[in-house]
Parts: sequence; C-alpha cells; structure tokens
Amino acid sequence: MFDFSWNMLTYFPPGISTYSKALDDLFILVYWISVAIFLLVQITLVTFIFKYRTRPGHKSIYYHGNNVVEFIWTLAPTVLFAGLGLYSDEMWKVMKYSSRVPSPDVEIDVVGQAFNWHARYPGADGILGKRHARYRTAQNLFGIDPTDPKGKDDIVLTGEFNLPMNKNIVVHLSSVDVLHSYFLPNFRIKQDAVPGSWIDVWFNGTKAGKYELACAELCGSGHYAMRGVLNLQSDADFAVWMDAKNAAKKAVLAAEAANPQAAAPVPAAPVAAEHGSSH
Amino acid sequence: MSAVATHLEQGHAATHDAHAHHDHAHHSVSFIRKYIFSTDHKQIAKQFLTSSLFFLLVGGAFALFIRWQIAYPGEPIPVVGKWLPDTLVSSGAVQPGFYTQLVTMHATVMIFFVIIPMATGAFANFCIPLMIGTDDMAMPTINMISFWLVPVAGLTIMSGFFVEGGTAAAGWTNYPPLSASGTGHMLWVIGIFLVGFSSILGGMNYLATVLNKRAKGMRMFDLPLTVWALFITSVLQVLGTPVLASAASLLFVDQVFHAGIFIPENLLTPTGGLFPSGANVGSGGGGQPVLFQHLFWFYSHPAVYIMILPIMGVVSDVLATFARKAIFGYKAMVFAVMAIAFLGFVVWGHHMFLSGMSPLLGTTFMLSTIVIAVPSSIKIFNWLGTIWKGNIHFTTPNLNALGFISTFVCGGLSGVFMAIGPIDVYIHDTYFIVAHIHYVLFGGALFGIFAGIYYWYPKMFGKMYNETLGKFHFALTFITFNLCFFPMHMIGVGGHMRRIHDPYVYEFLKPFQPINQFITIFAILMGFSQLILIFNFLWSLKFGRPAPRNPWRANTLEWAAPAHPGHGNFDRDITVYRGPYEFASPESKRDYLPQWIRPAHIEKEEVVAAEKH
Repeated sequence: MFDFSWNMLTYFPPGISTYSKALDDLFILVYWISVAIFLLVQITLVTFIFKYRTRPGHKSIYYHGNNVVEFIWTLAPTVLFAGLGLYSDEMWKVMKYSSRVPSPDVEIDVVGQAFNWHARYPGADGILGKRHARYRTAQNLFGIDPTDPKGKDDIVLTGEFNLPMNKNIVVHLSSVDVLHSYFLPNFRIKQDAVPGSWIDVWFNGTKAGKYELACAELCGSGHYAMRGVLNLQSDADFAVWMDAKNAAKKAVLAAEAANPQAAAPVPAAPVAAEHGSSH
Repeated sequence: MSAVATHLEQGHAATHDAHAHHDHAHHSVSFIRKYIFSTDHKQIAKQFLTSSLFFLLVGGAFALFIRWQIAYPGEPIPVVGKWLPDTLVSSGAVQPGFYTQLVTMHATVMIFFVIIPMATGAFANFCIPLMIGTDDMAMPTINMISFWLVPVAGLTIMSGFFVEGGTAAAGWTNYPPLSASGTGHMLWVIGIFLVGFSSILGGMNYLATVLNKRAKGMRMFDLPLTVWALFITSVLQVLGTPVLASAASLLFVDQVFHAGIFIPENLLTPTGGLFPSGANVGSGGGGQPVLFQHLFWFYSHPAVYIMILPIMGVVSDVLATFARKAIFGYKAMVFAVMAIAFLGFVVWGHHMFLSGMSPLLGTTFMLSTIVIAVPSSIKIFNWLGTIWKGNIHFTTPNLNALGFISTFVCGGLSGVFMAIGPIDVYIHDTYFIVAHIHYVLFGGALFGIFAGIYYWYPKMFGKMYNETLGKFHFALTFITFNLCFFPMHMIGVGGHMRRIHDPYVYEFLKPFQPINQFITIFAILMGFSQLILIFNFLWSLKFGRPAPRNPWRANTLEWAAPAHPGHGNFDRDITVYRGPYEFASPESKRDYLPQWIRPAHIEKEEVVAAEKH
C-alpha cells in the first residue's frame, strides 16, 4: 500500500546539527532497551496465557509471592532506569545548561506571533539594540528601544531566515502574543516561545540547505500554518546575503534622515531601558 | 451507628439489617429519589457509568472528525458534514478553528467526563461499599451531589459550542494567554471547576468510607486491591484537585477582570491589538504564563494516576479471579501504588521541559520521572507472577485485563522516552506523545474499564452479559486499537506535530499522509466496534440470563450480596475472616475461599453462600 516500516528508527528526518547524532543515538539506545523489555514481557505473557490456560484437570497453585523475587525485580529496574536517567543527563546539559552553551558566532532574536515567525538580525554594527516589552507595538514587535542607536540598523525579517552553517547560533526566543514553540526537526531542537520571557536556544547546523521551521505549541486556529524556512548557507553565501540586507537597510535609514517627517515620532525616553534577555 | 444515620438520611424507616431487607421488598421511594436524585451508591455508580458511556460516544465522535481531517484534509466529513453549520465547516470539511475546538473537546471530554468519572465515579461508588461489606457510603448526600456536578459541568462546557467564537480551543491543557479570552474558554474554566469539585467530594467520601465503614474483622490489608487503589487515588483527588481549582479560578479572574496574573506586560492579542490586562497599566511587572502550567500540571500529572491507579486495582482483581490464583506479592502491589501516587506529585515538571524552566530543575524532574518506571515495573511483574501457574479462564473481563497488561507495557515504555529530557525536546508535542497517552489511557485505562464493566455487570444489573458479543468486542477493539495507535509512534519520530489542522502544509510531513489514512481507517473501525459494547449492555439488561450471586466464584465481599442487591446491600451480617485472594487454598476443597466464610463452616457454607442464587 505504501512505504511502511515497523522499525520506528527509520522515520527520523535527516539530522544536521552538531548534536543531532548524539541525540538520535540516545533515542536508539532507549529504543532497543524498550524493545528488549517489551519482548520480554509480551513473550512471557503469551507463554503464560498458553501454558496455564484452563483445561480439564488443570489446577492453579496456592502461592502468595516471594520476597526475594520482589526484591530482585525492584532492584533491577531501579538500577536500569536510574542509570539511564543519569546517563542521559549529559545530553540534557549539552543542550540546555547555559554554562555549556558555546560562545555564539551569530546571535539573533526570534519572536512568534500568531501565525508567523519573525527574526531580528543585529545589522551593520553587529550588535542587537536594546529592547523592552514596554516599547512593543504591532509595528515594533521586538520592542526595540527607539533611543538606542545600536538598534537603528537592526533588520527584522518574517518567515524565511538565512543563517551560516558550522557556526554556533544562539537564538533569543520569545513571543508577542500567545505561547508558540520553535521547532526545527532537522536540528532536533524545540523550545517554547513564552511571552514575557526571553529564552536562549542554540544549535550549529552542518549541512547547507533549506529546512522547515514549525510551531509545535497550539497557538490558535492558524497554528497548523505557522511555518517558516531556515536557509542554512555557507559563510560566503551568508555574508553576501547579509551585506545586501544591510545595504538595503542603510538606504532606508538614509532616506529617513533626509526626510525626518516621514520617520516615526520618537516616544519619551524610558526610565530604565534594558536589554531584555532574562539570562 | 453509621448504618442508622444513612437510612435516616434517605427517609427510610429501617434501622437494622433485618428490616432493611424487608424494606427493600416493600418500600415506596418516589421515582425521582430512586432513579434521579438517589443516594444509593449503586444507583449513583450506574448514573456515573451511563453518563460516562454517553460522553465516550461524544468524545469518540470528536476523535473521528479529527482523524478524518488529518487523513483527508479539506474533504467533507462523510454523512454528518452537511449537517454541521457554516461556522464550523466549509462545504462539509472541518475548518481550522473547529479543528482546534475538536482536539480540545475530545481530550476534555475523554479525561474529565469519561475516564475520571468512570474510574473514580462508577467503580469507586459501586465497589467500595460492596467490597468492604457495608450498606452505603459514609456521606450519601454528598455522594449524590458529586454525581450531579458532572452533567452540570458537562453541559456548561458543551454549551460553548453555541456561543460566539465557539467553544474552548486552546487544547485540554488550556494554557493562557490563548485561553485568557473568549466566552468558550470561560465556560470551560467554570465546567472544570465544577467537575473538580465532583472529584474532591467523591475522594473525601471514599476516604471516610474506607476508613470507617469496613466490615467486622476487615483490616486494611484485607482490602481487595481495587479498594486499595481507589483509596490511594482518593488521596490524590483530595490533595491535587484543589490546585486545579485554584488554577481555574485564577484564569477566570484573568478572563473576567483582566487581572493579568498569567498575562505578561504589553502583550499583543492574536489580532494585533493590545491584550486587555491590568499589567498594561503602568510599566512594571506583568504576569507569568508558565505559572499556570505549574499549577495545571501539579494537578494534571497526579490526574494521570487518578485515571490509571483504580484501573490497575480492577485489573488485579479480575486477573486473580480468573487465574484462580492469589495476587503475587499483595503487599508489594499496595506499596507500589503508594509509591506511584507519591512520585506522581513530584514529577509534574516533565510536562514543561520546554517551558524554559531552569535546566537544573529539569534534571531533577527527569530523574524523579524515570523512577516511576520502578513501581510500574513491579506491578507488571506481579501481574505476570499472578497468572504464573494459574488456571486461566478466558472470560471477557479477563481478556480485557490481559489486553490491559499488554498495552500498558507499551505505554509505560514509551513514557521512558519522554521522561528523558533531551529526547523529550525532540518528541514533545508530536504524535509520539499522542501514541503514548492513548496507549496509557485508552489501551490502559479503557481496557481496564471494559474489564471492570463486564466483571461487575452481573452484580450491577442482576443479569449476565452476552459472552460471545463481549469477546467479539474485545477482539475487534484490541486489534483496531493497536493498528490505530502504534503507527502514531512512527510519524511522531518523523516529527509530526500534534493539533495541526492540515499537516501537509509542511513538506517533511507530506510522506506521512498514507500512514495517517491507515490510522484513520482503524480509528473508524475501532469507534464503531464500541457499538457492540453498547448493544451488549442494553440487550443484556432485558434479555440477559439472570445472574447467580457469585458467577465468577470470586472471594471478595460484593459476591456475598444478593445477585441484584437492593438497598442496604447485604441480606446478612458480614464478618471478614481472611484476605481477598485465597484461591486454591489447601483449607478448602474448592479452588476459592471467600472472605466471609466462617472457618468452622468452610465446607458447609461455601455451597450455600456462594453458589445459591
């Protein structure tokens, strides 16, 4: 009827981040342990069902249990599962502990908005301008501080994002409305975008190409269509793309400077601006 | 004493057991008091059972709409599509908004109105008084209120379909900010609050009943495992559900008064406007949506055990009875249930590995979660030990109980994957989770519920169900269940997200459409297989052969009661002389020895008590 395998390991989308292989290996380890336990229990169950089925003359025995056996089958799973937990903690630390996040080569901000993904690049100065929720409007989703000159050249993109390969990329993730979840299946990374918090996600892709970005947390009726594309490029290609974006932004800023009336009015200076990262 | 109080409360003249029996034959209780606002635990159990079976069909229908849309997106729903209003469907096909309502209501109905009321409403009500040898619950009126909150709550939530904007659509977890606006979400919160109180009142009542009303001679370690499991589940209900009520109340305050408890500062609405929230006034502070998740899962993880522990008890009793053998390691089983219940309160964070909480906390939750596999393994091994060297009878309840073990093992093992934080990062919110939850709550809880329904049907209605239809129902359900839910693991590993109206928006999900169609075909077959259960249930009420007093030759006290027990349950004094699982005991020539048989009268009374109608 169609391509179907009972081996669920064949279904992984190709993994292309530095830790995708280690994560898949961990999954495979747990999978085979599970298959072994599954078969052990099911075969025992079927054997007992067959062997001790009722039939004329067959009798059950009078037996209430055995503490030695109880002890063994309490200890064995404790050792196995606690061991598995401790073993997997290393992978968790690699992905999540801030002390283990490598020094970023590229930093961007990403916010989810029903039903789109937006990213903010640091622009020509290479520095993300300060942001705070109090500046947020439907036109300024990132809440970029209008008084911070470093934010002037920041570039905001929607839906499709280019990033360099073989670089440590740190995404500062948040949301402007409801919960979303930033899911890159090929990178084996997923992180909830929580409004009011900035959460760091890091990854390093090793293969150029276009990869799908999905929303994995129900965010409303358009949730299913909250799709983005991540275009992973070589250094050179990325530099060309970024330079073009920066040049375009520079032209826009120059036009605004020449005609200040057209520029948005600057709101009153805030009491205490901050770079809103919660880390 | 308590027996007297109970009878007075119900307006009965009878004050002792002899009278109670007489009373049963002649008393004239109005129809309303007997069938609608009844305080008789057995009648309340039947009410819970009936409402749960009704909601099972409703929730099942929602599931089929969901499955249809995922398999054949944009195609009109067969038969019913053309009857649905244009706000829900466009030319008969499910609209995206309706889809999110469906996934929300399917889970809400199945969890809060089918499995919890079935496990802790129907079985707890029917089994606890009968299995501990007493006439009724400790607090019969509270018991009645505990049932009537369920249909009120159910109607409140269902009425959301008829308000502007539709019913709740933020998933059964109902996370704010998405759930912090809209009439449908408000109705959902009110309904959950009410059904939560049904649970709290029930739990209190069960605790009081088990502690105070056990038959003469019955120690705690003479309780059948069903009662033990229900007792410990009641502790979970009483301690956990108030936290859900607090989460619901706080969300309500956000919805109605815009308090901003869960709403951060300066938040946009999905339409781009500013969220009406107190937090927008002034520049400081703001709410925290993750707080809701903590409160919600602090209840809802134990709720998973509220759904599964009673069923584990039922399965234990059914297995022992039909293997004609004592439970292997009775006390280990009790301690394992206690361990699961205790651990259940310290693992909620594994639902929130992606919420951005401290990764160190994640490590803690990962280790506490994975340790739950230990008491669960103990239970599996002890069940295998119970049927080992038994004399296994393949009645319908036992087939369902054996099916429970088989599927629960699978559900338990897939749980290990999500207990491990780094793996959960990838499979969270995918169909792997959907497969897991259905292996535990359908394969686990529902097969156990079927086992219980068939097992106690004779005592509940005084009639035997049709065994052939029962076996047919089991076989069809078991096969279609596995073919429906097992492939979900595969597409989950493939990264297929949950709750998406049209998966094929994504290139990487397009190859999974044939698997989704395969799943849908078996989901439909499975759904329609349940009609056999309903038919058997109703047909046997009328045409079933009259049930004997103890049709399964079981040991526990409910089988000492008359075939169709009337008010007051027992027609004689009950004293307990031994544990509940004395099968194949050398003391008796038969392969069972009920708890109530006096040691001096084993040979004589057995025949009279256990086999006479």
